[in-house]
Amino acid sequence: MCLGIPGKITTIRDDAGLSMGIVDFGGVRRDVCLQYVQDEVAVGDYVIVHVGFAITRVDEDEARRTFEVLKEMSQLEELEWMAEVADESLKLADGAS
Amino acid sequence: MKYLSEYRDAEIAKALIARIKARATRPWTLMEVCGGQTHTIVRQGLDEMLEGAVEMIHGPGCPVCVTPLEQIDKALAIAARPEVIFTSFGDMLRVPGSDCDLQQVRARGGNVKIVYSPLDALALAQRHPEKEVVFFAVGFETTAPANAMAVFRARELGVTNFSVLVSHVTVPPAIRAIMEAPDNRVQGFLAAGHVCAVMGYTEYEPIAAQYKVPIVVTGFEPVDILEGMAMAVNQLEAGRHEVENQYVRSVRRLGTEPARALVAKVFELADRPWRGLGEIKMSGLALRAEFAAYDAETKFGVSDIKVTEPAACRAGEVLTGRLKPPQCEAFGTLCTPERPLGAPMVSTEGACSAYYNIAKYRTADADAVVSAPARPS
Ligand code: SF4
Repeated sequence: MCLGIPGKITTIRDDAGLSMGIVDFGGVRRDVCLQYVQDEVAVGDYVIVHVGFAITRVDEDEARRTFEVLKEMSQLEELEWMAEVADESLKLADGAS
Repeated sequence: MKYLSEYRDAEIAKALIARIKARATRPWTLMEVCGGQTHTIVRQGLDEMLEGAVEMIHGPGCPVCVTPLEQIDKALAIAARPEVIFTSFGDMLRVPGSDCDLQQVRARGGNVKIVYSPLDALALAQRHPEKEVVFFAVGFETTAPANAMAVFRARELGVTNFSVLVSHVTVPPAIRAIMEAPDNRVQGFLAAGHVCAVMGYTEYEPIAAQYKVPIVVTGFEPVDILEGMAMAVNQLEAGRHEVENQYVRSVRRLGTEPARALVAKVFELADRPWRGLGEIKMSGLALRAEFAAYDAETKFGVSDIKVTEPAACRAGEVLTGRLKPPQCEAFGTLCTPERPLGAPMVSTEGACSAYYNIAKYRTADADAVVSAPARPS
C-alpha cells in the first residue's frame, strides 16, 4: 500500500465540495479523490495514486515507467484488489455525478 | 519502450555499481527504509552485486509488517461484532492475530470487506445507516492523507456510523530509534521516495545533522536505488551527512502541502508500538480530540487489548536488520506466504516474503537488472 500507482485522469467533477475524478490505471478505471492536487491537474494529466488519493502529479513518461516497474516487481497486487472493488466505486461515481 | 531502456538500462546499473565499488574504501552499511525498495534490492540481487562495498540492511518500511499484534487483535474483536461492517486494505486480511486473521473472521460469518480507498468505506457507511462501518486505518505517511480525509469528510457530512481503527506510524521517529539503538550498525539511509512525495523531507534534515548520518531520498527502481547508494557512499567517503534528493522527478522538499495540512488537522503525534521495535515515543498518529467520535477503539471498547508477540516469529530482529529472513528457523518451513507466521511474510513489501518469493531469481550478474523474468503468479 506504500507504493503509489500511476494513472491518467479521464474526468474531474465536484462531489459536494470534494474534487473527485475517474483515473485510468492501464485499463482499470476507478474513482479517485483529486482534492490534494486539484490546483495542479487537468483531464489528461498523470498522477500517482495512494489508496484512492492522488498525491503527486507526474509526467507521462514517469507514469509509464513506474507502472511498468510495478508490474515487473509484481507489486500490482494492490491493483488486483483495487480492480475487485473498482466497479463499485464507478457505480458510486455515476450516482454522484 | 524507450522510457524503460533509459532508466533501467543494464549499462547504467553496471556503471553505478562500478562507481560505488571504486569509491568505497571500506564496506559501508546502509538501510533502505521502504519495503518496495527491499523488494527491488532482493529481487535484482543488488546487495550481492555490491558485496564488499555496501551492505544493505532492510528497514521496517512495510506498513503491514510493523502493525503490532495488539492492533490486529483489536481489529479482529471489532470485526466479529454482528452490527459491524469491517473494512480494510486487502493486504491486512491475512496478517495473523493471536488466534486467527480477518479472513477467518469473515469465513465465520463476520462482515469483512476489502476497500481500496477509505472513502469507499465512508460511502458504505452512508449506504448502510443501520450498520457500524469501521475502517482499519493503517500505514505510513502515504496513507495518512487518505485516512485523514475520510474522517474529515465523515464529520462534514454528519455521518455518525463510521469510525476508524488507527494504527498509523511515521518514518522519521523510526530512523531516530534505529540510530539510538546501542547495537546500531546503520551508517546511512535511503529514505522512501513515496513517503517523501507526501511529506517532503524537511523532517529528515535535523536527523541527518544530529546523528551525523547521510539520508538520501530515493526512488524504488533498480537504477534509482543504485544512484541513492552511490550518493550515500559519496557522502560517507567525504565525511558529509546531509539530506539529498535522488528522486527529484517525484519529490519536492515540502511534499504535497494540502495533504500535510489535512493530516495535521485530523491527527496528532502519539506514542505507538511497532512490531519488532517496541514502543517508540511520538512515532505515530492518533485522532485529535475533536475527532474522538470517530475513534473505533473507544467506540467499541477495545483499547485495553494488550498482547505479546509470538516468540517463534523473529520479525523484530528482521525489521531492525539483526537477522536476514532465511536465518529465521521458521522461514520457508513453518512460515510461508500461504501460511504466514508473522507479518513480514504476508505483504509483498515484507522482507521475509521478498526473500521467499524472489531468492530463486537472484543472480550476481548485472544484466539481470533488465532481464529477470516476472514472478509466476
Ligand atoms: S520468516 Fe516468518 S516467522 Fe520468521 S521472522 Fe519472517 S515472518 Fe516471522
